[in-house]
Amino acid sequence: MTTNSIKLLYIEDDTEIGELVTEQLRSKSYEVKWLKSGEEALREAEGCSLVVLDVMLPGLDGFTIGQRLKKANPDLPILMLSARTSIDDKLQGLEFADDYVTKPFHPDELSARIEVLLRRGGRRSSEPTKVKHLLVYEAENRIVHADTGEELALGGKQFHIFMFLFRHLGQILTKEQIYEAVWGESYLDGDKTLMVHIRHLREKIEKDPASPEVVETIRGLGYRVRA
Amino acid sequence: MNKRNDSQAPVRKSRLLPGSLQGQYLIIVLAAFLFIPVIIPLASLTYTIVQWSSKSDMESGAKYGGTSGLLSDWHAHAANMEGKSDAAIDEALIELKRRYPEASMFWVDANGATRSQLPPQLDIPAQWTPEEAIRFMKASIGKDPYTVIAFLGKENAGSSFMTIRMPREAISTGNPNGSGTPYYIAFVFVMFSVFVAMSLLFFRHIRRRLLRLQSAMARQDEHGIPEPVAIKRWDEIGALEYSFNGMVAQLRDSRQRQSEEEQLRKSLVANLSHDLRTPLTIMQGHLYQLREEPLSPKGQQSVSVMQGKAEGLGELIDNLLAYTLMTSGRYKLTLEAVDIVRLARESAASWYPLWEREGLEVDVRLPHEQLIWQGDRAGLQRMLDNLFQNVVRHARDGGYIGLALEKRHGRPCLVFSDKGRGLNSESSATGAGVGLAIVDYLADSMGLVRETASSEEGTRVYLYEKTKAKDERGFF
Repeated sequence: MTTNSIKLLYIEDDTEIGELVTEQLRSKSYEVKWLKSGEEALREAEGCSLVVLDVMLPGLDGFTIGQRLKKANPDLPILMLSARTSIDDKLQGLEFADDYVTKPFHPDELSARIEVLLRRGGRRSSEPTKVKHLLVYEAENRIVHADTGEELALGGKQFHIFMFLFRHLGQILTKEQIYEAVWGESYLDGDKTLMVHIRHLREKIEKDPASPEVVETIRGLGYRVRA
Repeated sequence: MNKRNDSQAPVRKSRLLPGSLQGQYLIIVLAAFLFIPVIIPLASLTYTIVQWSSKSDMESGAKYGGTSGLLSDWHAHAANMEGKSDAAIDEALIELKRRYPEASMFWVDANGATRSQLPPQLDIPAQWTPEEAIRFMKASIGKDPYTVIAFLGKENAGSSFMTIRMPREAISTGNPNGSGTPYYIAFVFVMFSVFVAMSLLFFRHIRRRLLRLQSAMARQDEHGIPEPVAIKRWDEIGALEYSFNGMVAQLRDSRQRQSEEEQLRKSLVANLSHDLRTPLTIMQGHLYQLREEPLSPKGQQSVSVMQGKAEGLGELIDNLLAYTLMTSGRYKLTLEAVDIVRLARESAASWYPLWEREGLEVDVRLPHEQLIWQGDRAGLQRMLDNLFQNVVRHARDGGYIGLALEKRHGRPCLVFSDKGRGLNSESSATGAGVGLAIVDYLADSMGLVRETASSEEGTRVYLYEKTKAKDERGFF
């Protein structure tokens, strides 16, 4: 988490929550611009990498602002933050929002979701991310062994599998999800193919492929790459 | 009371109106009753009139005024021969022959000698004896040609006579008897047809209006309420349409009221949710900050207990409000084919980090095969979340969470198991109720069943389809 100078736009009308969240995000080295209403959102969103948006706002509500922001800049990730009941708002919000967090939320959960969104949008700086004994230069599509400085040469599918897991750092992905994301076709009998590719991937990146550390197997569920 | 009378007024009025269906029907039935006693004599009368008029038509229409006309004419001509010489009689007969060209005629003088046959006739004797005369008469009666014999002189009293033999076809147009029968049949038939046609028209009219009303009832606007119909007549169907319109108006009213109430309830729940969650969020934020501060172990423990309680409270609020919305019909389910095995695995994957943090042993035994349930994706997700949440909140002490696909009552069944002290123990009494109520409500709406088997060793929750799944894809 050595990132800095990533600008976030945060729109929240409640002063107490606003102060707390702003403080927590700043402690994670984000630059936070906090607005109490959405009127200036479009202009203020310039140069921001992500928008955290409350639903209940005076004047224009969060849905309207979110839709406008998305229309003006479809690549800008939007994270909805709402105190309304999830079952009611979640679907409406997710029509344009990239993620949705309901209040009350754990501050760690919020920053984790922001991390995921930023990484998915490719808005990471060229700083490498350390994954166990590996350094991942996402912008340059490079994976380097941290101890030896040696660059790892991965096959096309192996690299795709690794990057898909890496972009969902900390999340468990099922075999179906991985296969469909990498091969682009429905997972029916792709099981063997995927297992073979993961075995080859581990042979190249793990210190000990027999007890893998980077690509973890979560029994019965899928695989995970953790920082 | 007054209102009631108002709405009933058109019904009563219509019974008295001549245009009422009852009145119209009575007229038709009455016509049917009158049919036999009135129509049959009428038909007979028609028959008689036709018969009579056709007879007189024939008489006057025939060339020489029929048999009776010819008879009297011939006698008159014979009377005119009074005092005429034989030559003059011959002359007159030639004249008469010109007048009746189809007829053959002759005359016999006082001495019984046949004179001037026009044209000459073979069966006429030249000299008449009484026997000849009687034979001739006998041969002529009722035969064709029609024969008239008239004595000459005043009052036809002379001893000489003249005879005309006219072919019957020249004096009659055929047999007039029974000429009225087709008219009789036609009349009866027409009257029957008129009655049948009237009945048919009457019922067709009723039927058409009923069908129109029926289609108006079937047609619905975007709220599922039919449009009011235009009332054209104030009879019984008109009254029906009037009542129908009244019902439509009532439906619209209640629909309007319902949507207003729904809106009110929705905004109330949303506001309540907001007002309850905002302070909780702030509390959590501060608790999080407090944890970063240097605290004694006891202080740290207090903070973590408070954090746990705040989280539980947040979940409880969410479940409570969701339950309120769902049971008031605010949450619309869209059923589609969902691969429940895949959904369960992905849901478990997203819960895994929390289970890991809580130190639970995770045991997932799901096959890599599809199992399709007809369900609402978000609703199923919610059910899984609530069941997983229950384990974390109430069976954490068991240190175990299991998720498997097994067979129950011959159906594929998702099994959620834990090794907590069981639902009946004291710790699980709080909060679990609402979460499970939501699971049950959603399960019921999607044709699923939840069963729970709880003991000291742990709890097993079974979730399966009520009816046997059609598409099992060879599972087991």
